[in-house]
Amino acid sequence: MTALLSPAPARARVAQIEAALGDPTEPGNPYGYRGLLAADRAAVPFAAVEDLLDGLGVSAEYVPQHLGGRLDSIETLVRVMRPLFRRDVGLGMGYGMHTFMAASDVWITGTPAQQEWLADLLLGGARAAIAQHETAHSNDYVRSQVAARRAGDGFLLTGSKPMINNLSRAEALVLFCRTDREPGSRSHSVLLLDPRQLPAGRATVLPRRHAVGLRGCLWTGIAFDDCPAPESALLGAAGSGVETALRSFQISRTVIAAMALAAVDTSLRTAVQFDLDRRLGGSYGSWTDPAKIDQALVGAFVNLLLYDALAVVAGRALHLLPEQTSVYSASLKYLLPKVLTKTMYDLSVVLGAGIYTRDGNLGIFQKHVRDVPVLSLGHAGTVACQATVIPQLPWLARRSWFAEPEPPAELFRLGTDVPPLDHARLSLACGRDSVSAALVAVADGAPGGSPADRALRTLASRLVGELRDLQQRVLALSDADWAGPRGAVSFPLADRYALLLAAASVAGVWQHSQGGRDPFLADPCWAAMALHRIARQLGTPVGELPPECGTRVRHELQLRFADRRSFDLYNTPVPG
Amino acid sequence: MTASTTRDAARPGLVPHGWLLDRIALYLKRPAESIDPTVPLAEYGLDSVCALSLCGDLEDEFGLEVEPILLWDHPTVESLTAHLAELPDPLRGRS
Repeated sequence: MTALLSPAPARARVAQIEAALGDPTEPGNPYGYRGLLAADRAAVPFAAVEDLLDGLGVSAEYVPQHLGGRLDSIETLVRVMRPLFRRDVGLGMGYGMHTFMAASDVWITGTPAQQEWLADLLLGGARAAIAQHETAHSNDYVRSQVAARRAGDGFLLTGSKPMINNLSRAEALVLFCRTDREPGSRSHSVLLLDPRQLPAGRATVLPRRHAVGLRGCLWTGIAFDDCPAPESALLGAAGSGVETALRSFQISRTVIAAMALAAVDTSLRTAVQFDLDRRLGGSYGSWTDPAKIDQALVGAFVNLLLYDALAVVAGRALHLLPEQTSVYSASLKYLLPKVLTKTMYDLSVVLGAGIYTRDGNLGIFQKHVRDVPVLSLGHAGTVACQATVIPQLPWLARRSWFAEPEPPAELFRLGTDVPPLDHARLSLACGRDSVSAALVAVADGAPGGSPADRALRTLASRLVGELRDLQQRVLALSDADWAGPRGAVSFPLADRYALLLAAASVAGVWQHSQGGRDPFLADPCWAAMALHRIARQLGTPVGELPPECGTRVRHELQLRFADRRSFDLYNTPVPG
Repeated sequence: MTASTTRDAARPGLVPHGWLLDRIALYLKRPAESIDPTVPLAEYGLDSVCALSLCGDLEDEFGLEVEPILLWDHPTVESLTAHLAELPDPLRGRS
């Protein structure tokens, strides 16, 4: 149990899944874009791929090792699931994440018997469904409409949940419900049920609903009418529902936000291919400026790298700095629409009118444009993420920024061993952040000889100045400013903080890649470009970068495209 | 330290009732005397920002490390005061 778990097989598992799924652009590949776009149009799950993944036993990835599965770290889970998100966000969510989110609550608070029951089901290839909150109340699951009242040795359920993916084919259901009429945070509980055992007439599955994005997901509702549930169905203590959700969101936010990057990885690959075809075909219109296109493609690549730096940090922090994770996971999820969705729009400029294509290999771009934004809706949407960070800003400003020591180097060393996840140490809020110290360290470090290295140090110093400015702005707000409608002043502060956390993650990843296996990550060019983009977004006055930065990163982009490698920090081989 | 004088004045409870009520009144932007100690603070509009800020204040002022979900389990001034009175003094026993 205490031995460090080696993530070394992760690369092999990713390679196995990529190889089984094959080159998605190949028209004859039954698991490729042609098939998945057809399934998406028909609004059905992509059955061929689901069967293939079942055959590979992918659901064991959601089950912790001590329960017989392969879940050794959140980072590994992200890496193993990226091949799915690369092809189809709906597949990644529907096949993978909804089951994982349900299971995660059971790993956090379930009894050994509940954990073993679910582990056995998932290892046998079953799906789990989760009914979190009322969509009618948007993010406000605290007003959830299923009530469970005590009756005899158990509960009687009344009310309905309108949107549960996979309910009709799930063998386990994690259900959030109200167990106390009083308002407040202790009035909700979680039940773990077998949906197939619910008595007919007492539990009714409602008709399927269709959504704009993730069209292949099977959303159905369920209505309860005095439906009995045993006491043993209770997951965690009565009244602990909201706390469980907030703990579990830290994991699911991180994982989903990190996996979503893979869809934009595909969008970038599609755009590079489109541009290449156009150049070779000589069909550049006079209105197309090749320099602008280059800039858009390189900019998209840099966005993926800086976003992935924070994703790696948030994922590894769950193991290494669990107390601090709430701000990292919320900031990452907050940046999903700001960085990933925006990157897709930037890339759509490269495609021009090609963006409207809904089939062929170009059609995948349009599908990702529809699907990725859906991920920033729902229970862990932008506002929920801001609500996690904003209350912690005064603590961070008073006690943590410029005071906290640097985080351990392992936080930034992707793919290296981490201790097992300890759910009990996840704190709902602890007001601490040691990641930003990595930015200060790079700013204070002795610059090397190259212009790129000097540029990186200068940019890091400017951004440290921004962090100091943020600290002063937070401290300048009186206690009363945080309350009531004037609390709105804190929203732009949380926005700036998320970007500074991404900058600190870039600095840390670069710093701790020195002497590592990947010479590109150890090179200051990508890190300087990443900090430059962040500084521009913050409105920090910065000069031009040395030209070698753009050249080096553009060269890497072309190399990875030609060599069929991913555009994230992992530089993983992909079949196409 | 001012904190220790307040604390001495506040025996037997560690956190003076007046201090707590003033803090909450500040966050709620309403007079302290208008807060009914038996009404859940959420009903006066106390949100998560204030709830967490209050936890930070307790730590800064009295060295009390309280769980960020303090107000979930003790949602009224009355229950909060009772709970805080039972906490051990973090400075007692230190040199």
